[in-house]
Amino acid sequence: MKIPTLGEFEELVLLTVAAQHDQAYGVSIMESLEKKLQKKINVSAIHVALKRMEEKGFIQSRYGGITNDRGGRRKKFYVITAFGKQVLDNQYALRTSMYLSIPKISFG
Amino acid sequence: MNAQPPKQALKFLRWFCREDFIDEIEGDLVEIFEMHYQENPKKAVRGFWWQVLLHFRPDYIKSFNFIQFLIYQNMLHINFKIAWRHITKKKLYSIINITGLGVGIASCLLILLYIQFELSYDQYHTKLNDIYRVLHAYKPIEKKNMETQPEEFQVWGNAPIAEAMSRDFPEVKSTFQFTSPANFLFQYEEKIFQEDNMIFADSNAFDMFSWKMLQGDPLTALDEPYNIVLTEDIANKYFGNEDPLGKTIIVDEKETYTVTGVMENVPANSHFTFDGLVSMSTFRKYRPSIFENWGYVDFYTYFTLHDKSQLANLEAKADEFTQKYTSNWDQTHYVISFEPMSDAYLHSKAGRQPGETGSLSNLYIFASIALFILLIACINFINLSTSRSLERAKEVGIRKVAGAIKSTLTVQFLTEYILLTFLSLILALILVVAFAPILQDLIGKPINYQILFSWKIMPVLLIATILIGLLAGSYPAWLLSKFKPATVLKGIFRNSNKGIALRKVLVVFQFSLSIALMIGTSIVLSQLEFLQNKDLGFDKEQMLILDFGWDNKVQQQIEAIEQSFLAHPNVTAVSASRAVPGDFLPNAGTFIENAQGEMMMYNPTIYEIDQTFIQNYNIEMAAGRPFSIDFPSDSISSLIVNEAAAKLWGYEDPKEMIGKPFDQWGKKGTVVGVVKDFNYQSLHREVEPLTLRFEHYSLRKFSIRVKPQEIRKTLADLEKTWKELVPHRPFVYTFLDDSFNKQYQADNRFSKIFGIFTSIAIFIACLGLFGLTAYTTSQRTKEIGIRKVLGASVLNIVTLLSTGFIKLFLISLIIAIPAAWYFMAKWLDTFAYQIGMNLFVFAFAGFMALAIALITISWQSLKAAIANPIDSLKSE
Repeated sequence: MKIPTLGEFEELVLLTVAAQHDQAYGVSIMESLEKKLQKKINVSAIHVALKRMEEKGFIQSRYGGITNDRGGRRKKFYVITAFGKQVLDNQYALRTSMYLSIPKISFG
Repeated sequence: MNAQPPKQALKFLRWFCREDFIDEIEGDLVEIFEMHYQENPKKAVRGFWWQVLLHFRPDYIKSFNFIQFLIYQNMLHINFKIAWRHITKKKLYSIINITGLGVGIASCLLILLYIQFELSYDQYHTKLNDIYRVLHAYKPIEKKNMETQPEEFQVWGNAPIAEAMSRDFPEVKSTFQFTSPANFLFQYEEKIFQEDNMIFADSNAFDMFSWKMLQGDPLTALDEPYNIVLTEDIANKYFGNEDPLGKTIIVDEKETYTVTGVMENVPANSHFTFDGLVSMSTFRKYRPSIFENWGYVDFYTYFTLHDKSQLANLEAKADEFTQKYTSNWDQTHYVISFEPMSDAYLHSKAGRQPGETGSLSNLYIFASIALFILLIACINFINLSTSRSLERAKEVGIRKVAGAIKSTLTVQFLTEYILLTFLSLILALILVVAFAPILQDLIGKPINYQILFSWKIMPVLLIATILIGLLAGSYPAWLLSKFKPATVLKGIFRNSNKGIALRKVLVVFQFSLSIALMIGTSIVLSQLEFLQNKDLGFDKEQMLILDFGWDNKVQQQIEAIEQSFLAHPNVTAVSASRAVPGDFLPNAGTFIENAQGEMMMYNPTIYEIDQTFIQNYNIEMAAGRPFSIDFPSDSISSLIVNEAAAKLWGYEDPKEMIGKPFDQWGKKGTVVGVVKDFNYQSLHREVEPLTLRFEHYSLRKFSIRVKPQEIRKTLADLEKTWKELVPHRPFVYTFLDDSFNKQYQADNRFSKIFGIFTSIAIFIACLGLFGLTAYTTSQRTKEIGIRKVLGASVLNIVTLLSTGFIKLFLISLIIAIPAAWYFMAKWLDTFAYQIGMNLFVFAFAGFMALAIALITISWQSLKAAIANPIDSLKSE
C-alpha cells in the first residue's frame, strides 16, 4: 500500500495536534503555530490541512459540547491516530539518519 | 461581549458551506473575530470577511440539493412542453404574435443601431473630452450689444487666432488648425485625378486626434512644407501595391508633394472628414499674409486646456481678447465662443456648419417611433392573449381543481409568453441581419449589426426580451390565472366586460399611434416633394456642371472652351462661375451706400460669375441689367445684388439701388443690377443677401445647358472636346439637379426612415387587428349562421362585424389629429419654406388608415358573411 505523503505545513499541524493531545482544534492550533513560527497563519490553511490529513487517516476528530462562545458553534477536536504517529516517526527516522550522514563541515 | 461578526458575511458563509463543516469553520472564525475585535473592531470585521472568502473553496461548498433542483427542472420542462404545445396548436395566432413582435423588435433594434451610430460620432478620439473648438461670429457693428444668436456663429474663422490664444491664454495647452477642403489636381505617373477633399493641417494632428497612422511617423509627418499624409483609399488609388512612403505627387502641374504617411480612412462617424492632410507649412508658403489676417475666414481652430474647468475663464476673457485684435474694425464686431468637440456633431450651438450635422430632435423622433412600434406589437400580444382567454378558461379550471395555485399558473403562462418572445427575438435577429444591409444602402449610413452579437450586448438583449415578455404577458397571465374554477367549469363563464373595455382602450391607442404616424409620413413626404419641385428662381434642369478646380490654364482659355462647347448642337448655353447653386459660398465685408446715403458695411455672401451666368440660369432681374460683354468695365467696377441684399441696405424698391457706389474686396464701382431672389441654398433657409461679382480669375466650374435628347452622346462628345483642349485635366461632371438635391440628403434620410418604420408600425397594427377580428368572428360563427338563415344580407353582416371597430377608429382619429398636428408643426419649423398643413393631408392619411383597417377587417368578416350557414349550424 502506498503511504500517503505528509507535506511540510501538514507536518507542522500534525505535530501541534499530537502535542495538544485531544485538545487541539482550529484556533488553538493556529495560535500555537503563530507563537512558534512568529508569523501570521490563516485559519483556512489549517482547516484545509486538517481535512486532508483526516482523509489520509493521520488524525481523527470529535465534536465538543455546545457553549455560548463561538456563536454557539461546537469545537471540533482532533487527535493523532496510530497510523499518523507511525508516519511521523518514519519521517523523523528518515530525516535524522540523513542529517547524521552530513560530514562535519566547518563554516569558518 | 457584544462583538457581532458582520451579518452578511455570516449569511454568505452559511449559504455556501457544507453542513458537516459549518460548526468547525464558523466557530473558529467567530472565535478569532472575537479575539481581534478587542484590539481593533474595524480590522476584525475586514478580517472576518477575508477569512470567509478564503473558505469559499470547492472543499467546503455545498453540493447542489439535487432532488430539489430536479423538481424545479421538471416543472420548467413541463411548462415549456405545455407552452410549446399551445404555440404549435394555434398556429395562426402564434404566427401573428411571433411575426408582430419579431418585426417590432427588429425595427426597434435597427432604429437603435442607427441612433447608436449617430451618438458614436467622434467617440473614437481618446482625447475627445479635452478638445474644444472656437466658434466665430462676425456681426454688423450696430448689433454689437445684442446677444449673439446661434445662427450667427460659424465654425470657420481666421488663422492668427490660434497663435494669439496660445500667447494670451495661459490655460490653453495646445492648438490645432486646419483649412476648408482645398482642391488639387494630383498626378502620379499616368494617374491624374482631381482631389476635392484635401485639407491643410497643423503638424500636431495625430497628437490631438486619434486617427491611426498606418505608415510613417505621426509626430513628424506634417512638419515640413510640401509633405502630405494620404488616407488608405487615396494611397491605394495612386500607388496600388507600391510603397507610398517617400513617393512624390505632382500637384496642379507645378509642385511636388512628398508622401510622408498613410493613415486609416477617416471613420464615417467623424464630424469632419478628409482624404488627405497637407502640412500647414505648405499653405504658409503659398499665402503667408493670411496667417496675419484677422479678417480672412477659412480656418477651423481646435484647442486643449491644461485643466477642463478653465473653459469658463476663457469665455470671460473672450471679449477682451477679440477687442484687442480687431480694435481697428469699425464696421464689424467680432465675437468668439467655445464649445467642446463632443458637442460638434449633435449639440453644436453654431448655426452655420460646413458639413452635415446630426439632429438630436430627429433622434428623439426615431426613438419614439421605435418605442411606438414596440408598444403596438406588445398591445397586439395583450389583445390576442386576453381575447382568447376563453379558450384557456377550462384548462385553468381543471388545473386549479387539481391543486394548482395562482402563482404556479401565472408562472406557467408567463413561461409560455416569454417563450413566444424568445422565438420573436430569434426572428428579429434574423430580420436585422437580413435587412441591415438594405437599410444601410437606403440611408447611406453604416448599420453595424454585428455589435448585437457581442458579449456585452447579448445579455442586455436577452434581459430586454424577458422584460418585453413580462410587459406583454403579465396582464394576460394575471387575468387567466385569476379565473374561479367553479364558474369556469360550470360553463357560465363569459369574457368579462372589464377585459373588453381594456382591449378597446388598447386598440384605440394602437390606432391613434398608427394614424398619427401616417399623418406624419404624408406631411414629411409632401414637404420633401414640395422642396424638390419648388420654383427656386433659377432653372436647375438639364444643367451639366464641369469642375476644373480654378485651373489657371483653363481660366486663361475660358472663352475658347466655351465657344467649342457651344459649337455642339445639343448645347444651348455655357457659363462659368466660382460656385453653382447648392455649393458653399464665402462671405465678404461689403460697403454699399444705403438708402440714407451712407456707406454701410454688411457681410453678404458672394458669388463670382461670368457675363453669361445669369442668362444661362434663367435668373430674372428685378432691376438694372445683368453683366454683359458690351460693358467692358463690368469686370472691374460693377456689382449685382439680390433683392434680399437690396432690402438689407434699406431699399424698398430695388430700382433705387442701381448706380449706388460699392466697395468690396478691392473693387470699387457701382451697383448695376438687382436679381430676383433665387434659392442658391437649401430651402431650410431663407434667401440670404447676396452679391454677384464678375470675376475672370476666380472661376472654377462650367455650367453647360444641354438638350434632353441624346444625353449620353452629348457627354461623350463634350469629353472628347475637353480632352483635346485641356488634356491634363480629368473630365469631372455632375448634373446640377443631383448635386443640388444632395443638400436634402439628411431630409431624405429622415423621410425614408420615417416612412419605412411607419409602414412597419401600421403593418403590425393591422396584424393585430386581423388576429382580433379573426377571433371575434370565429366566436360569432353560429350567430352569423342564424342571422343568415333569418335573411340577413352579406352587407348586413359585414356592417355588424365592422361597426365596433369603426367606432374605435373614429375615436382614434380624434386623438391622433391634434397630436400629429402639434409635432409636425414643430418639424416643419426647421424649413424656411414649408407646405401649409391643410385638412387635405389629414383627411388623406385618415382615409388611408381607415381603408387599410377596413380591408383587414373585411378579410375575415366577408369570409364569415359569405360562408354557408349550414356549415356553421350543422354541428353542435
